[in-house]
Amino acid sequence: MITDNLYVNIMAGSALRRLMAEYKQLTLNPPEGIIAGPINEENFFEWEALITGPEGTCFEGGVFPAKLIFPPDYPLSPPKMQFTCEMFHPNIYADGRVCISILHAPGDDPMGYESSAERWSPVQSVEKILLSVVSMLAEPNDESGANVDAAKMWREDRPEFERIAQKLVRKTLGIPC
Amino acid sequence: MPMVFLDRLPVPSIRVYTTISIAILSCSVYYAAQIVKDPAWRTNQTEIAVGDGNNVTGNGIANDSRTIGVHLEELLACMVQEPGCIWTLINMAYCVLILLGKSIQKLVFGELRVSERQHLKDKFWNFVFYKFIFVFGVLNVQYMDEVILWCAWFTALGFLSLLSQLCKDRFEYLSFSPTTPGWSHARLLGLLAAILALSLFMLLLCAAAAFFFVSFNTFAFMAAECILLGVRTIHVMLRYAIHLYDTRGAAGNTSPRSWDKRGPLAYYTELTSELTVLAVDFLHHIHMLLWSNIFLSMASLVICMQLRYLFHEIQRRITKHRNYLAVLSHMKQNYPMASRDELAENSDNCAICWEKMESARKLPCGHLFHNSCLQSWLEQDTSCPTCRLTLSMQANHRDSPLELAVVSQTPVRRNENHFFHFDGSRYVSWLPSFSVEVTHSRLRGDILALAHSNSQLDAMARQVEQLFPHYPKNIILEDLRVTRSVELTIENILDGRLILPHHMMEEPETEPVAQTQTTVLPGSFAQNSWDPRFDIPAADSGEEPSNLGGRFSKSSIERELILQRRKEHMLLSARRRYLEKHRNSESETRNANGNLS
Ligand SMILES: [Zn+2]
Ligand SMILES: [Zn+2]
Repeated sequence: MITDNLYVNIMAGSALRRLMAEYKQLTLNPPEGIIAGPINEENFFEWEALITGPEGTCFEGGVFPAKLIFPPDYPLSPPKMQFTCEMFHPNIYADGRVCISILHAPGDDPMGYESSAERWSPVQSVEKILLSVVSMLAEPNDESGANVDAAKMWREDRPEFERIAQKLVRKTLGIPC
Repeated sequence: MPMVFLDRLPVPSIRVYTTISIAILSCSVYYAAQIVKDPAWRTNQTEIAVGDGNNVTGNGIANDSRTIGVHLEELLACMVQEPGCIWTLINMAYCVLILLGKSIQKLVFGELRVSERQHLKDKFWNFVFYKFIFVFGVLNVQYMDEVILWCAWFTALGFLSLLSQLCKDRFEYLSFSPTTPGWSHARLLGLLAAILALSLFMLLLCAAAAFFFVSFNTFAFMAAECILLGVRTIHVMLRYAIHLYDTRGAAGNTSPRSWDKRGPLAYYTELTSELTVLAVDFLHHIHMLLWSNIFLSMASLVICMQLRYLFHEIQRRITKHRNYLAVLSHMKQNYPMASRDELAENSDNCAICWEKMESARKLPCGHLFHNSCLQSWLEQDTSCPTCRLTLSMQANHRDSPLELAVVSQTPVRRNENHFFHFDGSRYVSWLPSFSVEVTHSRLRGDILALAHSNSQLDAMARQVEQLFPHYPKNIILEDLRVTRSVELTIENILDGRLILPHHMMEEPETEPVAQTQTTVLPGSFAQNSWDPRFDIPAADSGEEPSNLGGRFSKSSIERELILQRRKEHMLLSARRRYLEKHRNSESETRNANGNLS
């Protein structure tokens, strides 16, 4: 919570208003297969999202829960996103953190190759993040090494990757394998 | 941070402590009462040998005439004089203080959160540490009664500053929720007001003390602490007021309030109070350092460290403020306020805060934002939030339309071979001489095309080839001719902007889905960026209970409930779909197997 930004505390009010607007929009016009909102409205800066695995991919059918943590100066800084279920994907760390360019602040570039155009900007939104995550599930970027094993398997042993993905899908749905 | 190990000391529970304190107190009261019973106790204490019978009886008669008030007064006087009793009295005072703190906590805060408790603990030990150093290192107090007086003073001060710290933490926590009931704000504000009043009272107290008996130095020490406490409390209160004003009606009903007017106000409130606190603290420490004549002691070392920290903090704030002013003046010079027509034409909300714009600044690319939204963004980044147009903070854009032309191609670089145009004709009217056909949309904005010889290009292509052996060289060369940079070509390949011939593709369907998302204006993105492949057949939507979708309740409890139900519904229908699908595919394979055999 405590960052260097002098604005942080006085920004919380505007962050709250913006989050409320986004929550409203996501509730009234929910994109297909996506639900997101604050887990407990006592803390509006922590959301849970459910993402349906995209059709026609190995994650098809699964409902993947993820946590979104917003900074007090949102939307100037991006939120953090972490899957709370087990995931096996080239762009998701073992602890569930998601590594996609839209979640990186324009200043930092851990991978060193992202163009700033894809990075975070206040015009982005929860909805756009979640849509990007859906497309990431469909098309992993095996250049980013968030999960090297998964990236390697995605490249070299696709059937095994799909088998693991299907196992995870069944797990999220609570269906025994 | 210092003396963290003290956390692990076994601390008795408050109930036990209170009981013990009361027991000890009653013992000592009984003891004192026993002494006071003898009316000659005063003389007994001073003159050990009292043999005069007359004197005793005389006092005995007087004893009957003593009222309860006088009796109590004598009792108290006796207790203050007895060394054993005075310690029990002090202990009792602390006990009462702890009980008071506990009841305030119960009344105002309720259960403390873990982080608040941790913060409080840190702050407490910090306070004890620094005051210990102050009393023994700086003031060099020698006498017991002086120590006790200082202890009393710092106890009161510490109590109030811990409370104000707690208020601050709690306020920050409450500001994370839009649904906090009004009375919890009211209680917190009431407590803050009480702290403020008490700190003012303490300031008066030390002024009075300075007038009557203590030196000016001591007064300055005491006053500085009161002022610090007061300013911190005022700071939290002001911030609170701004926040309450800000979030009033955040839940849905958007009242036409512009964040514009309160932006600078909030900023300057924050800046002045923080700088005041830092400056007073700084002076206070310098005063301490100069006053404690022993320069090479532990105490002066600690004070020096603190001074260094404070100095850096002040410096940081001032740098930040300079940056703020620079951005402000840059915005004033380069980005004009949007005219009424432009605002009417662009009826979208501000893309940063999603609120209506009554006044706005216009960037060279034609995008409009609230003044303060833009300000806070430009303090951390120098590009247009919507189209990523790089804004140079030094140059005046109006003087260099050519440079702008190249720079501005970034937003449209992904639309292949298009005429270069911007959304909205107002951009062209603003730069009338300017119209370009873009043949290679992959052109990166931040570089101007420089002539490279073919050999250079070849060398660069080899570099890229090493990384991406499956890309044909001619495609890499073509891209390099445009980008003139290995990094940018690699970036283009990684982003999937470099189109491979169809047969070369590992996966024909691979096309970056995210590509439109970053460039599309808000409001239209949902339709544009949603890849139809992900559309889930809306077979189940009919079954969805009507009370779930399409409604945004005003009550937070109802909202939480609806969200919960929507999630459950989603999971259930996904599970059903999955099972159905697998039953079908299983029967299909069974059929296929049957046909085969
Ligand atoms: Zn705005
Ligand atoms: Zn723009």
